[in-house]
Amino acid sequence: MGKPRTPSFLLCMLVLKMLPTLATTVNYADPTSQPAVTEQTTPNIKIIESQFKCYEKMQRDPVYNKSGLYCNRTWDGWLCWDDIPAGSHSSQSCPDYFHDFDTTEKATKYCDETGNWFRHPDNNRTWSNYTLCNLHSHGKLKMTLIMFYLTIVGHALSMASLSISLGIFFYFKSLSCQRITLHKNLFCSFMLNSLFTIIHLNIIGNKNDLVKEDWVICKVVQFLTQYMMGCNYFWMLCEGIHLHTLIVVAVFVEEQHLHWYYLLGWGFPLVPACIHAVARVKYFNDNCWMSAETSLLYIIHGPIMAALIVNLFFLLNIVRVLVTKLRDTHHAESNMYMKAVRATLILVPLLGIHLIIFPWRPEHKLAGEIYDYIMHILTHYQGLLVSTIFCFFNGEVQAALKRQWVQYKAQWGHRRRDHCSMRSASYTATSISEVPVYLYHHDSNSDQLNGKHGEDSEITMLKARETYA
Amino acid sequence: MLFSFSAHHFILVTTCENALYSQFIQEFCFDSFKFVMDATDEKYWCDWEKTQSSYGDLTNCTILIAEKLKCYWPNQVVDDFFITIHRNYFKNCPLTGRAPRDPPNNVLCAFIMVPMLITLLMTALVVWRSKYNEGIV
Repeated sequence: MGKPRTPSFLLCMLVLKMLPTLATTVNYADPTSQPAVTEQTTPNIKIIESQFKCYEKMQRDPVYNKSGLYCNRTWDGWLCWDDIPAGSHSSQSCPDYFHDFDTTEKATKYCDETGNWFRHPDNNRTWSNYTLCNLHSHGKLKMTLIMFYLTIVGHALSMASLSISLGIFFYFKSLSCQRITLHKNLFCSFMLNSLFTIIHLNIIGNKNDLVKEDWVICKVVQFLTQYMMGCNYFWMLCEGIHLHTLIVVAVFVEEQHLHWYYLLGWGFPLVPACIHAVARVKYFNDNCWMSAETSLLYIIHGPIMAALIVNLFFLLNIVRVLVTKLRDTHHAESNMYMKAVRATLILVPLLGIHLIIFPWRPEHKLAGEIYDYIMHILTHYQGLLVSTIFCFFNGEVQAALKRQWVQYKAQWGHRRRDHCSMRSASYTATSISEVPVYLYHHDSNSDQLNGKHGEDSEITMLKARETYA
Repeated sequence: MLFSFSAHHFILVTTCENALYSQFIQEFCFDSFKFVMDATDEKYWCDWEKTQSSYGDLTNCTILIAEKLKCYWPNQVVDDFFITIHRNYFKNCPLTGRAPRDPPNNVLCAFIMVPMLITLLMTALVVWRSKYNEGIV
């Protein structure tokens, strides 16, 4: 299975490299790119510990039982290497002993055809290739810093725009509907997700002690971040199910019980997060659970992908129903519903696409950098995107804001406390002189649908009037 | 320690001789390590906090002698030497050195498929429940 490498995990690992620790003791230009231990340099404690673990593993592992020549297991001074058949390469992640070593790069060792480890031609010394570990460190460090700030800015902007949107939704009681209630919950989950991600990055980036000593709080924050990520996607699923129920399953039913949506959106994401925590503790209990080299992360990403695919299926089903069944009979409504669905239909792929293109980072340097930028923007600016599409581009919200602005300007008396269904009717009534009766009956549903522009629904109704007059 | 080289051991070294290296680390490094380990209680041998310093000294000793004999460190002799040490002193210690690794494939599949199936079931449940709610028009 391919290993998921979340940009934020890579970011975390590289940010750790900013910490002042020992610099490498060797010059990598010369062939002795090996731990050149001399009397002056004493190996640091981490290396001694790794050495201990290596020899323990070496004496414990079963004897090599395949036929043919092979190279014996060995400790090369920095990393442990298993028995491998002659004529093959072995590779593992670069160690983290030195601050200019990139742990996402690979160190390699070659076993030649005679069953001996590769010796460097210059001094005939057994040699492992650590050159990739610090080759691009300086440039990478710069990129990492840029990505780190991009992430923080993205989440901060998301939190700001989400809180403004929430403020708008809570302030304008006239906007209150079931769909808006779902939006409020969605925005809350995005805000909490941004908050926990910022906390998590700060813990990893700055407070070295928490990471080095493997404190529990580090893992708790990681758990909460993953729970919140699950909540985001499951609330999007709730939105999709709500629309589906409204349009396809029980048409024109207004009030659904929201308890099940709350359960799916807030309660259910605990399940994959807890299973991941248990699996991690039992099998892959690394420092702060930071490693992205494990397939256990699919425990979180699998249900999220399932939720996205199911959501997409629901939305496509809605579009199918709208296009085929309502086209002939309810032209006006189908257009309005289409506009409502359009917002969700745009969002679901945008929220999901970074999970799909994730594993395919281009090899080429420039393309890789562009990929990193795009992935970071898609991942960390989602809150901003969601609040913009669901709130700021919403015709009803824009209308409510305009009205408020007009009221303040004209210094009218009391704010009209309109009921959800009556507000829309009165809005359209002020703009259109005559409206057919049947459109009033369905106005209550149009309020739950977020048309992109208020004027469009107005024009649609005008057209409907012409058609049916 | 190095000053206790006796005269017949003092040889002009130009290239590394594995036999000589092996002999020296047995004589000079292993003996002092053995002395320290025999002095501590056997139940503390697996306690890394306690054995860390003597293990570190042993490693440093092998490095210094390698330096003196113009041998590259580490090498096959060092590997064999330490494997023997581990067999004698750290054989039954609880597994510390295992790099974290994924569980076997069947366990991993179970861990991944179960949440995905529960997700689909939960979604179906929510759709079903919202379908049969009483509507208020």
